[in-house]
Amino acid sequence: MVDIQHIRNFAIIAHIDHGKSTLADRFLEVTGAVQRRDLKAQMLDDMELERERGITIKARAVTIYHEVGGQRYELNLIDTPGHVDFNYEVQKSLQACEGSILLVDSSQGVEAQTVANAYLAIEADHALVPVLNKTDLPHSHADEVCEEIENVLGIDATEAHRVSAKTGAGVPAVLDSVVAEIPPPEGDPDAPLQALIFDAVYDEYRGIIVYLRVFNGTIRKGDSIRMMGTGKVYEAIEIGRFAPKMAKDLSLAAGEVGYFISNIKRLGDVVIGDTMTHHKAPAAGMLPGYAPPQHMVYADFYPTSPGDYELLREALETLSLSDSSFSFAPVTSDALGFGFRCGFLGLLHMEIVQQRLEREHDLDMIQTAPTVTYRIRMADGTEQDISSPGALPSPDKFEQVLEPIARVGMLVPSEYIGAMMQIANDHRGVFVRQEYLSPTRVQLVYDVPMAEIIYDFYDKLKSATRGYGTLNYEITGYHADELVKLRILVNNKEVDALSSIVHRSQAETRGRAAIKKLRKEIPRHMFEVRLQAAVGSRIIAREAIAALRKDVTAKCYGGDITRKRKLLEKQKAGKRRMRQIGNVDIPQKAFLAVLSGDEKKS
Amino acid sequence: MDLCEPGRARPAAGTPLYVHLPFCAAKCTYCDFYSVPAEGHDLGGMVDAILEEARQRAPERPRTVFLGGGTPSLLPPALLRRLLDGLDALTGFRASAEEVTAECNPESLDLERARVLLEGGVRRVSIGFQSLRPEVLESFGRVHDVDQAFAAFAAARRAGVPWVSVDLIFAAPGLEPEAWREDLARVLALGPDHLSAYALIFEPGTRFETERRRGRIQPVPEEDELAMFHATRELAGGAGLDAYEVSNFAKNGAQCLHNVNYWRNGPYLGLGPSAASHVDGVRSVNVRSVEGYRARLGADRDPVTSSERLEPLARLGETWWLGLRLAAGLEPEAALAVAGLTGPDPAAETVARLVGEGLLERAEGRVRLTERGLPLADAVGREFLGLAAPAAP
Ligand SMILES: Nc1nc2c(ncn2[C@@H]2O[C@H](COP(=O)(O)OP(=O)(O)O)[C@@H](O)[C@H]2O)c(=O)[nH]1
Ligand code: SF4
Repeated sequence: MVDIQHIRNFAIIAHIDHGKSTLADRFLEVTGAVQRRDLKAQMLDDMELERERGITIKARAVTIYHEVGGQRYELNLIDTPGHVDFNYEVQKSLQACEGSILLVDSSQGVEAQTVANAYLAIEADHALVPVLNKTDLPHSHADEVCEEIENVLGIDATEAHRVSAKTGAGVPAVLDSVVAEIPPPEGDPDAPLQALIFDAVYDEYRGIIVYLRVFNGTIRKGDSIRMMGTGKVYEAIEIGRFAPKMAKDLSLAAGEVGYFISNIKRLGDVVIGDTMTHHKAPAAGMLPGYAPPQHMVYADFYPTSPGDYELLREALETLSLSDSSFSFAPVTSDALGFGFRCGFLGLLHMEIVQQRLEREHDLDMIQTAPTVTYRIRMADGTEQDISSPGALPSPDKFEQVLEPIARVGMLVPSEYIGAMMQIANDHRGVFVRQEYLSPTRVQLVYDVPMAEIIYDFYDKLKSATRGYGTLNYEITGYHADELVKLRILVNNKEVDALSSIVHRSQAETRGRAAIKKLRKEIPRHMFEVRLQAAVGSRIIAREAIAALRKDVTAKCYGGDITRKRKLLEKQKAGKRRMRQIGNVDIPQKAFLAVLSGDEKKS
Repeated sequence: MDLCEPGRARPAAGTPLYVHLPFCAAKCTYCDFYSVPAEGHDLGGMVDAILEEARQRAPERPRTVFLGGGTPSLLPPALLRRLLDGLDALTGFRASAEEVTAECNPESLDLERARVLLEGGVRRVSIGFQSLRPEVLESFGRVHDVDQAFAAFAAARRAGVPWVSVDLIFAAPGLEPEAWREDLARVLALGPDHLSAYALIFEPGTRFETERRRGRIQPVPEEDELAMFHATRELAGGAGLDAYEVSNFAKNGAQCLHNVNYWRNGPYLGLGPSAASHVDGVRSVNVRSVEGYRARLGADRDPVTSSERLEPLARLGETWWLGLRLAAGLEPEAALAVAGLTGPDPAAETVARLVGEGLLERAEGRVRLTERGLPLADAVGREFLGLAAPAAP
């Protein structure tokens, strides 16, 4: 067993694309854990989707060995998810470590996610090792970036490492600093067991693999282990560490990082942040900061053809084996029939789930526009959370509607301040503060309703700053406001799946925008299709899609009826990807498009 | 019947007969029928191959015969004689058929051809005028001019062909409704017994469609197309031609019986490359290739390349889609019978919905398109494809 003094547990915190994976690869290489030619792709991200999107969805861990002054150290690098949707997971990963490398691309500078994650690391009492990456690039401006780090984060960056993760220049010295600057873990290997679950993944062959960091005590193969949060008990069928791939071992002691395998079937049975202890001789309490996943965004999934409901359910169940942080529950809609309301950590998480469903299960579905959870204060004083606009009770039954508010940090080049403030105002943002990182870059902090963020805030930020602006947010609480239901009627029939909750002051613009978009998405019919947006009984916008008047082509001559029929059938099949509401065919895309801001992809 | 060789079954006596002659003077830009330029092809060999297929499976005593294509009038008189004599020897159509039509194009229908056709048993010719505008004819890639079209009509009349029909296409790019009315009036003034007037369709795979996709030609605005559609009905009606189908008009009951049979979803047998057949509930199509067709018949192999047997529900859907094109519409009971169904009508719900939407109407036990439904015949027909069995009561 390694002496606890010779262990270092650390993470790399960085904004997307600043080189975290590349640096991790170099670590593996310089420590001889893998040969360069074996590094097919960056080892730490391994899901296909992740590679495509260049983000780490789920944290992973790897163990490397590094010598300083003739002493061999065990370095456990714990990867952190790189997106705002996975803030809780980031916190748990950081909790498993004593320090972090703060990695900043010296050609870009500090970005919103750098700031957000650095704050999380500071909160977790981390020793920080600042590293400036990509110094091989001609437009690297390391000195200014040092200043930014000092200005925004108040961290002394004069000694920051200047490296190129690409060429490997300066990388070994970073590992020396990890050993020198980051304290070894503390903990008593003989105390009752307390191990933090900081991640879990689903493996098709081995079931659930739990990633753990032992804080106190020792876990041995064969132990009977209790999850203190869920109360479930499992036998330690296999335990081990990552060097760099999973390697079986007999025990893991205080300070160490490793994995745990039992016969756990579904990821939902394991809660990240839970504490593992011995079933027989449990610890007195849990490790701090345990919370079940919090769903910030909801959307409904419906099968495109109602007959596929069971298929959709099976697909969601399969997916929940490998993604513990989304939830689903049956739901019915007048317009769309039977489907599922799904809860997500955020917008990106939603997109990932939806793509996995389509890719891995080949499902054709209709997804409604995402919505946040609203809290309804009822007339009788009770509170009730709703996750769909359709669930809003009639106005006489409730007093107030509260909505989740996020504190949003935006890092933008200073020439875009005016534009960003305008966008924040348009999205009901409340100014909190403004800080200059450097003469050319500013951090703006606003409190913005979460609903506005999922509407089109992020897209607007990106286009207003030509892609240079970055954003991070954190939910801070609920706030009451004048929120009303924006009803959408198609041929006088209200379609709940198209309705939304909006601020009274925006109802008109949003209503008009929604109707315009529907007008574009819904094909012409053999009758006029009337579209209306209404608040209560007041119509605030209307449009009509003129009836199709001419559709006769087939020259049914020569008797090749099969060919003509197939043509008609093909046109009809196009209609199958739509949903019939009343007798109006509404294409799948319309449901998502109607409530998003303009120019949204997909 | 032998399902492995559906093409070989000889249909019942009386079954309508179609003959496809796949040669044209040149390929028109909008045309998706199977045809190739005649130049360099062995036309006589083709006639022999068709006669060979007829020997194998042509029905005896067909009720109607239709020579289509392609351009049957393009065949030299000697070959036309050989074809018609041969068919009569094999089927006896001259004595049995109520209607024998040949499609003709202006560049090849002269007095001599008209006489040969008449002597061969043809009683009806359909002349492809398509347009009276030189610029439109040019964009269509037609090889004749307007004068030739009128001359061909006169030749047919002079030869004494009892029924003469004219084929026209409206809504060509750039064509104004007023111009179409003028053209149509000139054609009607000739006094044809029958008129077919179709809107131009951009068929997949045609040159026109490619040009349209590339933005080089613009379809006429929907309003104009609709105006031309209605003008056709109005002017033809004024000239005593009844609209018995969405795009077909006839004087004194001179409907094209052969085509009416298609719209009633009846059986027929097609000979020649790409010809389609509908026999005993099986739809089949011959190989779409002149060489392939001749090779198959030469090697005593079946020219059919694809066939499908429709389920009763699919047959019912087709019966409605096709039948609604006829002005008389159809009787729900008769449609059920054509599909071989009994019991509750799977189409009833769709009919009721479309009646509710004002696209169909009921009259004397029949169902037909309304004035508004007429120009939407395809969209209405589509509603009947993919019918589901009615839920058990
Ligand atoms: N020129 C240069 N490019 C780098 C360096 N480090 C990373 N990159 C590139 O930056 C991009 C993002 O790197 P990656 O490690 O995937 O970033 P991550 O999103 O933080 O994991 C990739 O194209 C890398 O090849 C570096 O030191 N120099
Ligand atoms: S003449 Fe008729 S069959 Fe021949 S190419 Fe032209 S339209 Fe097609």
